[in-house]
Amino acid sequence: MKIKSRPLTLIVGYLLVGLLALVALVSLFWTPYQLSDTTGGRLSPPNLQHLLGTDKLGRDTLSRLMVGARIALSVGFFSVLIGAFIGITVGIGAGFAQRRIDESVSALLDILIAFPTLLVAMLIVAGRGSSLSSAIIAIGIGMSSIIARLTRLLVKRVLAQDFITASRASGTSWPRVIVIHILPNIWPTLIVSLALQFGLAGLSEASLSYLGLGAPPPNASWGSLLQEAQVTVLTSPIAAIAPGLCLVALVIGVNLIADGLRSQGDPTLRKI
Amino acid sequence: MNTKKFGKFAMVGVLALSLVTTTTNAIAADSNATINIGSLYEPQNLDNTGGGGQGVTEALNGNVYEGLFKLTDSGKVENLLATAYKISSDGLTYTFTLRSNVRFHSGKTLTSADVKYSIGKVTAANSQSARKSSFKVVKSVATPNDKSVVITLSSRSISFVYNLSYIWIVNEDAKDISASEDGTGPYTLGTWKRGSTLSLNRFDGYWGSAAKNKQVVFRYFTDATALNNALLTRAVDVITSEQSPDALAQFKSSAFKITNGASTTKLLLVFNDRVAPFKKPLVRKAITSAIDNKKLLQSIWGEYGTLTGSMVPPTDPWYENLTKVNPYNPTLAKKQLAQAGYPKGFTFRLDTPNYDPHPAAATFIKSELAKVGITVNINIITADQWYNNVYKKLDYAATLQEHVNDRDVVWYGNPNFYWGYNNPRVISLINAAEQAKSATAQTQLLKRANRIIVADAASDWIYLYPQIVVASSTLSGYPINGLNSQFFAYNITKG
Repeated sequence: MKIKSRPLTLIVGYLLVGLLALVALVSLFWTPYQLSDTTGGRLSPPNLQHLLGTDKLGRDTLSRLMVGARIALSVGFFSVLIGAFIGITVGIGAGFAQRRIDESVSALLDILIAFPTLLVAMLIVAGRGSSLSSAIIAIGIGMSSIIARLTRLLVKRVLAQDFITASRASGTSWPRVIVIHILPNIWPTLIVSLALQFGLAGLSEASLSYLGLGAPPPNASWGSLLQEAQVTVLTSPIAAIAPGLCLVALVIGVNLIADGLRSQGDPTLRKI
Repeated sequence: MNTKKFGKFAMVGVLALSLVTTTTNAIAADSNATINIGSLYEPQNLDNTGGGGQGVTEALNGNVYEGLFKLTDSGKVENLLATAYKISSDGLTYTFTLRSNVRFHSGKTLTSADVKYSIGKVTAANSQSARKSSFKVVKSVATPNDKSVVITLSSRSISFVYNLSYIWIVNEDAKDISASEDGTGPYTLGTWKRGSTLSLNRFDGYWGSAAKNKQVVFRYFTDATALNNALLTRAVDVITSEQSPDALAQFKSSAFKITNGASTTKLLLVFNDRVAPFKKPLVRKAITSAIDNKKLLQSIWGEYGTLTGSMVPPTDPWYENLTKVNPYNPTLAKKQLAQAGYPKGFTFRLDTPNYDPHPAAATFIKSELAKVGITVNINIITADQWYNNVYKKLDYAATLQEHVNDRDVVWYGNPNFYWGYNNPRVISLINAAEQAKSATAQTQLLKRANRIIVADAASDWIYLYPQIVVASSTLSGYPINGLNSQFFAYNITKG
């Protein structure tokens, strides 16, 4: 029997994201220092007490990075959840809709997609005030149009298949068709898109925090860490490099997972 | 070497030296230079009575507009458009003589009617001038002739001449100066590209010494790092106010000059003294004693900045170091909280403007107050939200804000001001100081008032900002102090 091997990209992706998830999990129970601890001295370089040094208020950079991992992953998870719920619902609806409604929804989605997710998120955050929940909702809504458009396309493609006609002819209701035929068929492609959106959501949260529109202080988002480190980059470069590397690891990890899932799900990419 | 050879050698030497000197002088005295000034403070509009912000003072005060008097970079009040003034024996009538041959940029000659109009503009109901309340004492403004202005006050005001240095003299025919100008200064307004640049051109019809440069371009940035990079790449020649000590490392070379001048900008933790628990001075004192201001100053500014312990900066005549009145002492803070009826602390919302250094300062304060049982919920807000919710609607418990003006401790004598500090003794002392007959008496009375304000911990005066100007080493003649955010450009030369 041939053992089905996972692509290397998938393994590396899982390792990177898994490591960040582990750090985020640990930060729920333990960090080297409390975020409110300002005893580390101004911009201390990396040392045995503070492995990644301290910021200008004397807070431990490693502890803040760990909490930042929690924020990035939770924003990624919850915003994808919101985006997927809205996007898949609208996408399936549009896929089933009559021509005029479908065209209207498609045009609306195209307009929404034309707005960068970050811009949409900024508008929503500006209206609700900056907070972690605002960032999650904003990013989730921002990405929902992309997911809806993809879902609509996939649904249309599946609906054109003969087995759908056969299923309907045999008396299967539309809701049941969605559950047993459409969702399983669109899922492999959707999951790749959702994985990519997860990484982008982390990046969007960092961008919002960088602009002062994300999680308010003393929350330690990687974006706010980067923003704070901007002026001290000459005197304490590690404060900018560390959150930057974490963001890179998250995005690369998620992209590798998406790539791996695509390789697994797409028969044309499988090795013969 | 014989005498003849030495003579030739000396002549060549002298010629070479004179050539070098001439060239150097030509470069040093390039009166047609354009000076690029980098700033983070773009005006909201160009009218200082219309909420133009500190950017309008920085760009236009003394450059485009002039007052009857000028507050110099060293804090002295000098005659400007007024050449002389007389005060009546009861101290209630001021007669000002205006300078002759002063023309507005539009060409019209300055008259007393323009002065009357300009004072009225500041005292008008819709005026947003920071010094509006200082002119409540103005009872009437008379213009007996074109060159004389007689101002009658309802009560003595020893600061009146000083306060007049805040009033721009505007052509009374110029009805809207929010996007244009008509002043008497050494520069006219060139173009204002919102979000980018504001240029000033030398005014050839200026009554005084002409500006030493042909043009000044204020280049505006919203990001301090981008501003620093602009100086590094010579897109700007000078930064009016450096905002981070950590950025200075890149300028520590012979190509740049760094100056640390006097500042009047204070960072305040403002309590809304009208509402519980901040109604109680003991609570405010406890909070002040719970926050290590020295550590916060060092965190934000490293070796720069000053602790004053009060609203009064060292440049004010009534300055005293009052840092020991409410010393950093968390144990004392806990005792004071217990005495005030809050042994377990309390929770409050700290409205924090979203730009530096407020978020970092709020984080530090939250951390410090947690040690004495006080929970701080940091609420990040925009500058507009601060103005509308905090300053106008007074819908706040505590906030962080910087105050840029000098001699502004007198605002604690106004119970209607946004912080709501209301101590009849202080009000009486500040009023008495304003009506004092001598500067010495005024100083003594304001010192007494300030000691009471500090003893009441009306606010927590966290620190006095440093005023760090960074310039290209080829630049000279720029102001190094940051009094009231003024930045006189007319003496700047390049080369």
